[in-house]
Amino acid sequence: MTDKFHAEMAEMQKRVLEMGFFAEGMLRDAVEALMTQDVALAGDVKGRKGALSSQNDLLEEEVYRMIALYQPVARDMRAVACALKVIASAERIGRYGKDIANVVIATTDARANDLASGLSIPHMAGLVLSMIDDSLRAYETGDLQYIRHHSERDDVVDALRHTIFREGITYMMEEPRTITRCMNYLMVARYLERCADHSCKIAEKVHYMVTGERIEIK
Amino acid sequence: MTTQSIICTQGLTLYYGETRALKDITMRVSDRNVTALIGPSGCGKSTLIRCFNRMNDLVDACRIEGSVDLHGKDIYGNGTDPVEIRRRIGMVFQKPNPFPKSIYENVAYGPRVHGITDRARLDRIVEESLRKAALWDEVKERLSHPAMSLSGGQQQRLCIARTLAVEPEVILMDEPCSALDPIATAKIEALIGELKRQYCVIIVTHNMQQASRVSDCCGFMYLGEMIEFGETAQIFESPEKELTENYITGRFG
Ligand SMILES: Nc1ncnc2c1ncn2[C@@H]1O[C@H](COP(=O)(O)OP(=O)(O)OP(=O)(O)O)[C@@H](O)[C@H]1O
Ligand SMILES: [Mg+2]
Repeated sequence: MTDKFHAEMAEMQKRVLEMGFFAEGMLRDAVEALMTQDVALAGDVKGRKGALSSQNDLLEEEVYRMIALYQPVARDMRAVACALKVIASAERIGRYGKDIANVVIATTDARANDLASGLSIPHMAGLVLSMIDDSLRAYETGDLQYIRHHSERDDVVDALRHTIFREGITYMMEEPRTITRCMNYLMVARYLERCADHSCKIAEKVHYMVTGERIEIK
Repeated sequence: MTTQSIICTQGLTLYYGETRALKDITMRVSDRNVTALIGPSGCGKSTLIRCFNRMNDLVDACRIEGSVDLHGKDIYGNGTDPVEIRRRIGMVFQKPNPFPKSIYENVAYGPRVHGITDRARLDRIVEESLRKAALWDEVKERLSHPAMSLSGGQQQRLCIARTLAVEPEVILMDEPCSALDPIATAKIEALIGELKRQYCVIIVTHNMQQASRVSDCCGFMYLGEMIEFGETAQIFESPEKELTENYITGRFG
């Protein structure tokens, strides 16, 4: 493969990473908007969806172009395949950010803040965001140390979702007027859990890119 | 892969005078399979492939250590007839090299040398060989025309037919497509896919994509050594050796 390919690949990796952090930013700000009931910030997150999609489309097209032109093999093929998967997962993560922003806009309420905090959502969000961050760092550097504990971290996130579910039920039984909001927060917990799964997918593909070995992180 | 091995080398080392061109090569080549040899220029691919049918015997000052077994019998052992070995292990070269004779005579040449004179039998062999080489339909009306009147790709298929005519078990090809255009190349590649149903094919190629397209197993050589030998799909997805990876991804030199 030519130096031209490797230069283009490096450039593409940079842009994929940018898209990853862009998506992570959408999720981070959506959670922030939820915690602070900041409808303006939520609206801003919603507004970023178009940019996310167009980055997705552009990069995907770029990947296909590189496959067609260079027919990469081995490490190069794995890098291209990994880029494609990272793009797809990043897009999903960004869209879950937008979904959470929608929840904020739909349920804005001064008391909601307490409720969401009570539901361990901030804790869960922190874990998920750090998983995403680490999987992107691993993609950036090829250093698998970042994703060494992804499986265990994902287990913690899964357990938290169940905890939040039980907490939610308690709130709803005590105070039926919270049902709508609680249901929305349970949705948020589910979105966060899915984002952690996508971070695991990124980690799997980075592992494949670096080692050639396909693993499942679950 | 469940296919049986047909050629096995053990500690094969080859010297041209003082220079060691092959270093301690141990490998098994499967029957009814295509094996590709890749590696940078001068790494010893042609030298290795020529060991398989004792073509190196023709080179002065060439010395071999180790063994090359065909069906478990050392082809360099005492009492082995090099001519018989070259019949059983045919070779197709980089540049098509038909004899300056008719198409028919090119194919009939080998069988004649091996003592077949019956015209009807020769006719049958010629037709069968040309069919197997996917050339019959293109030349059946002009078998008496000079072989040189054929296109490069046709000439190469004629050389393959010539090899097939003596009923070999193994077909060696040293860069058989490097003098051909993409369409002629595609025809040869399709032909290789057909040939492996019946023969063991070993091909040397500089075209990595060709190696990945046509072969089942692939060996990467470097400075006379077999660095990595394994299933083609695995080598092109995730080779075990850094050197192989660097070579097939073009990060070399
Ligand atoms: N007849 C010969 N006498 C002396 N040295 C030779 C002879 N043939 C080849 N060599 C040397 O042996 C080494 C291997 O050569 P070989 O032709 O096998 O390489 P190769 O891998 O086929 O290269 P290429 O891809 O350029 O065809 C080279 O260093 C070459 O110079
Ligand atoms: Mg050669």
